[in-house]
Amino acid sequence: MAVTEARTVEPEVAPDVRGPTAPLPATILALGIASLVVIALGIVFSQVNYALSDRTLTRYCIDQQIPPEDNGAIGVCNIIEALQDPVTSGSLYLGIALGGIAVVLGLATYKRMDSKRRRDHAITGAVLGSQGVLLAAAILWFRSVSPGLFGKHFLNFADLHGYGGAFLRGIRNTLVLAFAGELGGIVIGLILGVLTLSERRSVRAPARIYINFFRGTPLIWQLVTGYFLLLFGFGLRMAAFTVAIIVFALNTGAYAAEVFRAGIQSIERGQYEAARSLGMSYVQAMRYAIVPQAVRRVIPPLMNEFVILIKDTALVVALGLVESEFDIFTTAREGQAATFNATFFTVAAIAYLVVTLPLIRLVNAVEKRLRSGLVGIAGAGG
Amino acid sequence: MSVAAEDPSPSAPARPGEALVRLEGVHKWFGNLHVLKGVDLEMRQRDVVVVIGPSGGGKSTLLRCVSLLEVPTLGNVWFEGKDITDVRTDLNEVRTHIGIVFQAYNLFPHMTALRNVTVALEKVLKVSGDEAHERAMDQLARVGMGNKASSYPGQLSGGQQQRVAIARALAMKPRVMLFDEVTSALDPELVGEVLEVMIRLAGDGMTMMVVTHEMGFAREVGSRMLFLDDGRIGEQGEPREMFYKPQTDRLRQFFAKVL
Repeated sequence: MAVTEARTVEPEVAPDVRGPTAPLPATILALGIASLVVIALGIVFSQVNYALSDRTLTRYCIDQQIPPEDNGAIGVCNIIEALQDPVTSGSLYLGIALGGIAVVLGLATYKRMDSKRRRDHAITGAVLGSQGVLLAAAILWFRSVSPGLFGKHFLNFADLHGYGGAFLRGIRNTLVLAFAGELGGIVIGLILGVLTLSERRSVRAPARIYINFFRGTPLIWQLVTGYFLLLFGFGLRMAAFTVAIIVFALNTGAYAAEVFRAGIQSIERGQYEAARSLGMSYVQAMRYAIVPQAVRRVIPPLMNEFVILIKDTALVVALGLVESEFDIFTTAREGQAATFNATFFTVAAIAYLVVTLPLIRLVNAVEKRLRSGLVGIAGAGG
Repeated sequence: MSVAAEDPSPSAPARPGEALVRLEGVHKWFGNLHVLKGVDLEMRQRDVVVVIGPSGGGKSTLLRCVSLLEVPTLGNVWFEGKDITDVRTDLNEVRTHIGIVFQAYNLFPHMTALRNVTVALEKVLKVSGDEAHERAMDQLARVGMGNKASSYPGQLSGGQQQRVAIARALAMKPRVMLFDEVTSALDPELVGEVLEVMIRLAGDGMTMMVVTHEMGFAREVGSRMLFLDDGRIGEQGEPREMFYKPQTDRLRQFFAKVL
């Protein structure tokens, strides 16, 4: 006990061997950071100043003849007006100057830096400086063209009053479309995927034709044609929403089939041989040995397909949905058509991101977990 | 002592004197590659046939032809007097009597050691869950893996995995066991534990075909040795005799390289 305690303690983490910095690289880094900070501070200062000011009507609002009682529009006016504020202008030009110096100094000296940390500082300073320059230039360009029009059409949230419920319904309908389509697609895809792996061409061929057809024609063609085919070609009385789910399932099935095929093919041949050598039939070998392993490997790509499908559901805008069936994009499209305000599309993007970003994070987390070797396989127990 | 000897297979074993396994004129082409060039072979009960020879000589292909994991391009394979190269044969049924152990173990990684052994008992032989469990635990104990029954293959060493693979094959009560270079993928210090299991199995009277590079095992345990060279049986006979008095230059050269 005492012996182990007396031993010198090994460092817990790898030691930092990047060496010290020096005044010049540290200055370059500071300039780069300062460039971004100055720009951000100037903009925030002006925006806060305008937002808190009692000016109800800006010069721009008066030009646009916006009535004093239109609070939403006035908010946009303030945002636009604040961009023209002298403090913002000063911070943008100062940011460009600082960033430019950082870029020039950094690029000129980084090769001569003699330690890892000095070199890192010089390069990072130059990179941050160039970002500051680009950001300031973009804002300068933006406010010089027509920020008023942009604000009026894309950041004018006043017209969205009363559309909150509609967007929530849109999110729900989008998720229902994508979920139902993905579930149907997984069932179709698993069957087709196994068929494409058959030794017999007579079994493979129909599956291949199906997959190639649905991968080779546009989804919007499949939706619109499917709609007309089912309703008028076959005379079925069916909601456009139902038609959309069917078409999404058929389409996703083709892509999922390729995912399952690749997943099954990625299982070592020895697994199949071991199962067959124990007297299992082809179907038993698939069911007990191959598919359970393949399923685990296809989860991340199938989740990716699901994210893609969520976005593709926007194509239902081409069908004659009734209002209760509107998805996110159709909700936005209808709102925009009624008000001539494209801010609906801005909100639609936010609504899609609210749904997809957590899913994308989840896919990455699952992929990472499965890639960490043992866990993915032995983790079957847990 | 021996499970195999005490426990004769439920269905009819081969008649005395009749070969358990017989290959006649077996050829195998992979595309344009002629791997087996007419092999004839008979295995009787309790035979331990060891197959040696240079790599690429067709040893593994020959072994895989016995259970028709590879279908011979030409020639016939009989098992217990039945031509199993006949397309009407129920190969799934035949394969329950032929155990194979592979170089790469090929355990199912998503199942525990125990489940690896019971799955075919339950799903293929339709043995009840309790009986399958009992048979599996017996066989795991036989290979010294009884205390690892609930481990996943990824948690076991190569030698342990290979012993589970042997138990998995034995649990089916096969009439013949095929071993395809089962120690080649193992670290040297793990080879012994697997060979020990195989030696005991041979002592229990199991009929075995063993493709191996372990010359000591071949000499001590084999009842007959085949030297497979370029798709043909170059020489065959009693192992010690072949070691001490090789008849052909090819075998002499082979021994010079591996010993």
